[in-house]
Amino acid sequence: MKIGKTMWMELKNRWKGFLLFILVVVLLVGGFVQAYPSFSEAFEDELEGSENIDIEVLEDRKNVTVKLSWKEIVDAENYSILVSESANMMAPLDRVDGVENTSHNCSLKYDEKEGFPERYFAVVAVIDEDEKELVGMGMNFERTSPFQEIWGVDYGDIQGFLSILWSTWWILLIGLYIGYISVNLITKDYEEERMDVLLSKPISRRQYLLEKFSIVSLYTLALLVLVGLVLVASAYSLGELNSVSSSALMISSVLSWPVFLVVISISVLAGVYLESSRKAVGVSFIFILIQYGVNMVGDLTEGLEYLKTYTIINYWNYEAALYGEAVSAYDVGFLLVLSAVLIVSALVIFDRKDIPV
Amino acid sequence: MENEVVMKIRGLTKKYGDVVGIKDLDLDVYKGEIMGFLGPNGAGKTTTIRTCLGLLQKTSGDVKIFGLDSHEDSIEIRKRTGYLPGDFGMYPDLKVKSILRYLLSQSGVSDESKMKGLAERLELDLSRKYGNLSKGNKQKVGLVQAFMADQDLIIMDEPTSGLDPLMQQKCYELLREEKEKGKTIFMSSHILAEVEEVCDRVAIIRNAELQVVEEIESLKEKMGKKLEIEFENSVDPSIFAMEGVEDFEMDGRKATMIVTSNLDEVIKKISKQNVINMSLETFSLEQLFLTYYSGGGKG
Ligand SMILES: Nc1ncnc2c1ncn2[C@@H]1O[C@H](COP(=O)(O)OP(=O)(O)OP(=O)(O)O)[C@@H](O)[C@H]1O
Ligand SMILES: [Mg+2]
Repeated sequence: MKIGKTMWMELKNRWKGFLLFILVVVLLVGGFVQAYPSFSEAFEDELEGSENIDIEVLEDRKNVTVKLSWKEIVDAENYSILVSESANMMAPLDRVDGVENTSHNCSLKYDEKEGFPERYFAVVAVIDEDEKELVGMGMNFERTSPFQEIWGVDYGDIQGFLSILWSTWWILLIGLYIGYISVNLITKDYEEERMDVLLSKPISRRQYLLEKFSIVSLYTLALLVLVGLVLVASAYSLGELNSVSSSALMISSVLSWPVFLVVISISVLAGVYLESSRKAVGVSFIFILIQYGVNMVGDLTEGLEYLKTYTIINYWNYEAALYGEAVSAYDVGFLLVLSAVLIVSALVIFDRKDIPV
Repeated sequence: MENEVVMKIRGLTKKYGDVVGIKDLDLDVYKGEIMGFLGPNGAGKTTTIRTCLGLLQKTSGDVKIFGLDSHEDSIEIRKRTGYLPGDFGMYPDLKVKSILRYLLSQSGVSDESKMKGLAERLELDLSRKYGNLSKGNKQKVGLVQAFMADQDLIIMDEPTSGLDPLMQQKCYELLREEKEKGKTIFMSSHILAEVEEVCDRVAIIRNAELQVVEEIESLKEKMGKKLEIEFENSVDPSIFAMEGVEDFEMDGRKATMIVTSNLDEVIKKISKQNVINMSLETFSLEQLFLTYYSGGGKG
C-alpha cells in the first residue's frame, strides 16, 4: 500500500531535470536523423562524369601503367590529363597536356615499387584557347564513404546510419545522465541529511533502495520508448519506413535498456557504498567512459576487436534489431543478471550499513 | 501501569572502530513517562538513540522496544515510534507540506489533522519551501514530523536546539500534553534546566557510560542553585554560614554561593540587606558533575 511513495517523491523533486533531459534527447535524436539524407549521399556519391572514363591499372615487375580511355568530345582539339590526391583536383601531382584528339586514350607510366597509390584522374577537353570542358573524372581504387572510414559503417542504408547513433554517443549521452541521477538519488539523502528521517519511518531499507532503482529504471525505459517513437516519426518523414520497420526501430532503442540497467545498478551500488556524490559519480562516469573507450578502440583497431566482448555495449544487439533479425536472448539475459547481481549487492551492503550523520 | 517497560536496553555497546560511542548501557524507559537522556557533548546520546532505532548496527547488547528486537523487528517498532534526529535535513526544493505528507504516508497514516494542528501551534508555515526556512523553523518541521503520526513512543535528540525561548516553552508544553495522552517520550539533552523542567526521570551519561538514573524530584534535591547577589554595602560573610550553602565567595559587594538546601533561610537572611541585583540559576550539567559525580564517584 505504501509502495511507490518514495518514487513519487523523487519524481516531484526532480521532474524538471527529467523533463529537460527528455527534451534534449528528443531534439538531438530527431536532429541526428535529419542528417540521414546527406549520409546516404556520401555513400552514393559518384565523381563527376565517371561514366565517361575507364581506368585500368597494369603492373609488371618494374613499373605501373595506368591506361585511361574516355568518351570522345567531337570538337576537342586535344585533351589534358590531371592527376591528384584529392577529388577536387587541387594542386595536381601530374599533368599531361596536348594529348591527341584521335586516340581518346593515354597511358601513364610510374615506377612505383609498392604498387600504385590511390589517385584521382581528370580528363579535360581543350576545344580552343578559351574553352575547356571536363570530360570526366575517375579513380584507380574503390572509394569508401567517410562514415565507413571513421565509424566502420558498411552500408549506406538507414540501419547503418542509426548504428552510428547507437554505437557512439548513446552510451555517453544517456549513460552519464542516468548514472549521475542514480548516484544522486542515494547520496543526496546522505548529504542533505534526510536519511535518518526517511529510514525512521516504517519502510525497509530494501524497499527504499528498490524504489530508487525503479524510478530511474522506469524513467529510462520511458525515455527509450519515446526515442523509439521519435525514430519512427523521423523515418516516416524521410520516407524510409519501407526500408526499416517501425518495430525494428522501436526494439533497437528499447534494447539498450538492459545496458542502462547495469549503469544504474553500478551507480546505485557506488552511491550506497561511497556515500558521497563526488566519489560515486566518479566511479559511475569512469565505468561508462571505459565502456565507451574500449568499444571505440575495439572498433578502430583491428587486432583489438576482441576487447569489445568485454564491454556491456557488446551485449546490446542493435544491428540485429535494426535489420529485423533475432536478438540474442542470452545477451539480454546476461545484462539483466549482471544488473540484478549488482543491485542485490547494493541491497546487502545497505541493509547492514551504519547510516552516517 | 507505571511499570510497563517500553524501552529495555541491556548491555548496549556501540563502537566506531576504536572509538567507543556507548558502553554497556542498561536502561529502562517506562510507559507514560518522559525520560531525559542527559550528557555533555560527545557523551554518546546520539549513538544510543540511533542504535535503538536500527540506524546503527550495535556492537553488542540487546535492545527491546515494545518487547520487539530493535534490529530484527525494526519496522514494527518504527510503526509505533516517532523520531526527531539531532541533525537532519529534508528536500530543500519542496514545500514543507508535501514533505510532511510524504513522511506521514510512509508511516501509513492518512489523517493530516494532527500535522496541521501542530504546525499551527508552532507557527510553522506549511506552504514555504523547506530550503528557505530559518534554522528554528526547520527544527519545527522536525518536531511536527515526529509527533504527527500520533505514535506511542517519541524519541527525540535534543528537541529544542535552534528554538527561541518562547518556542522552547511551546515544545515543553507539547511534550507534557503527549505524556498526558499516555505517550512515552525519550529525549536527549545537554541542558540540565530543560530536563528538570519537563522530565520525570533522567539518565545521565558521560564518556559513553551511564552515570546515574534518577527521579527528577530526587535530583532536584541534590541539585543546587547558583545564587549571585549584589549588595549595596559590603556584608559580613558569616551570616551565610549555614547548612546547604556551599562554595561561598565574596568579591567586594558581590556574593556567589551554591545553595543546595535551606533556600528559604538564605532568602530571609538576604532580605535584611539592601540588594541591588540578584540571580538564581539552575546548575549547569558541568556543575552537577563537579559537585556530585567528580572523582569517579557514581551517584
Ligand atoms: N561515525 C562516527 N565515527 C566515529 N566516531 C563517532 C561517530 N559518531 C560518533 N562518534 C564518537 O562517538 C562518541 C559519542 O558521540 P555521540 O554523537 O553519540 O555524542 P552525543 O552525546 O550525541 O554528543 P552531542 O551532544 O555533541 O550531540 C563521540 O566521541 C564521537 O566522537
Ligand atoms: Mg548528539
